[in-house]
Amino acid sequence: MLEVVYALWRRDMIKFLRDRRQLITSVTRPFLWLLAFGFGLRGSVRLPVVGADYVSFLVPGLATMTVLFASMFAAISIVWEREFGFLKELLVAPVPRGAIVAAKILAGSTTAIIETALMLALSPLVGARYSPWGAVASIPVLIVFGMTVNALGIIVAARMRSFEGFGSVVNFVIQPVFFLSGALYPIAGLPHLLRGIVIANPMSYAVDAVRGLCLGHHGFPLALDLAVVVLSAVVLGALATRAFRRMEA
Amino acid sequence: MTAPAIEVQDLRKSYDQVEAVRGVGFTVGAGEIFGFLGPNGAGKTTTIKILCTLLQPTSGTARLAGMDVVSSPSEVRRRIGVIFQDPALDDRLTAEENLQLHAVAYRVPRAERAGRIDEALQFVDLFDRRKDLTRTFSGGMKRRLEIARGLVHRPDILFLDEPTTGLDPQTRARTWEVLRDLRQKYGTTLFLTTHYMDEAENCDRIAVVDHGQIVALDTPAALKRAVGKDLVAARTADPAALGRLLQEKYGLASTPSEGGLTFMVEQGDAFIVKLLTSDRPPLEGISVRRPTLDDVFLSLTGRQIRAEGAESNMARVRAMARRR
Repeated sequence: MLEVVYALWRRDMIKFLRDRRQLITSVTRPFLWLLAFGFGLRGSVRLPVVGADYVSFLVPGLATMTVLFASMFAAISIVWEREFGFLKELLVAPVPRGAIVAAKILAGSTTAIIETALMLALSPLVGARYSPWGAVASIPVLIVFGMTVNALGIIVAARMRSFEGFGSVVNFVIQPVFFLSGALYPIAGLPHLLRGIVIANPMSYAVDAVRGLCLGHHGFPLALDLAVVVLSAVVLGALATRAFRRMEA
Repeated sequence: MTAPAIEVQDLRKSYDQVEAVRGVGFTVGAGEIFGFLGPNGAGKTTTIKILCTLLQPTSGTARLAGMDVVSSPSEVRRRIGVIFQDPALDDRLTAEENLQLHAVAYRVPRAERAGRIDEALQFVDLFDRRKDLTRTFSGGMKRRLEIARGLVHRPDILFLDEPTTGLDPQTRARTWEVLRDLRQKYGTTLFLTTHYMDEAENCDRIAVVDHGQIVALDTPAALKRAVGKDLVAARTADPAALGRLLQEKYGLASTPSEGGLTFMVEQGDAFIVKLLTSDRPPLEGISVRRPTLDDVFLSLTGRQIRAEGAESNMARVRAMARRR
């Protein structure tokens, strides 16, 4: 069972590492954000965090964003493999459906974390300042968050027959999750309604945990952040397994 | 006594309004090559999907080596291999990587994996290409690699859905060589679907299916005997006169063909002698052939099998690939 999960995970990793172009394009996106938003707004944004400029403040949010986009879109491989038949090979094999889902979620999260780690490692080059040990400690949090997001992607993919369908639903979901997560702004001082939405969004807790670890600025207690991140991974993982079981090949 | 390889009773499957499989029943013995022959949409693929646990039947039972496909899907999956109509390879992995993944999924003992993979690749003549990405393979090579994959876990029963559709004649012949070797070497039971008549000739027994039901089930030779008549083609400058003679003297209906006419008659060879030695219009040539499975299907269903599915399927895959 574990060996099957490993073999399936390894398959996705081999393909990811063979596709260098994907890696490069996915790292350029957060840098574009960092340059455009960070430097564009640095002068006009007043932050409650002592000692952090806006560029540094954005890094944890954009790291979490990178995981969100990369891990969510990794789930498109389910649509791809169903359309081109490979999924059938897995479904007639004596492999538990849960093992296939676990391998997919782990692989989606791993590819996302590779991109994010690259982005974190390179961001000091454009002047971002954060605790390197905090960044290292953030990696497990981001891995679990990536699993949550990939599980959500699988739930969407299990219902989709086309790439366009998957893309439009995912974009519809991903934009509000990102913009209403506190990735671009601190939660303190938000208007009442907006604050309520941000607090209801699980991604806010992942962003808060990473920002706390990297910059020492917390909106919520770290224990609450971790609890929400882990709990959403468990719930969405279970829902993804159910959606996958019900899917017709 | 051991259980038969496949045992199906009154199998039915409905999708919404359409009943795709309507009460199918048959038994396949161990080591047999059994064919499901019928046009596209006859319910062949639906039946194969039920047998390999991808679809649940609406009613009826199917047992593989005594195990029920609905109540024991994992046990069934461990004992079968499936080769689908469209390739189910990961085309961004190498040939060897595809087989390695398969070996792990089917829990082939670690110590035996490398040996079995090499053996399977050699069996289908792809050993030299084992390090190449499968996306660089031709259709025939992909099909052979899938057969190799089906061998790695030594299944008791191998299912093949339209195994040679879309392949050129040489590759089809080569694929059949491999399949016959496979049965001989490992005693594997083969269950295949096809709409190619000449391919069905390779089977020990054939079930002719149409509209979700089996309309005949026997050996290819017996099915052809059941048609009973041979096909005679006569070349003549005066087909009208010959047609009149056949109709009036022997009560045979004939159809015009290029340079003459054709007709069906019992014991065609004896009839030709009779015709030649009687008073008749001048003939330029005459031939007789035994009925083929095409004639069998025609006489059972009143229709001819058309091979159209393969092309539309490929067009769909190409359209997908363009959109990527």
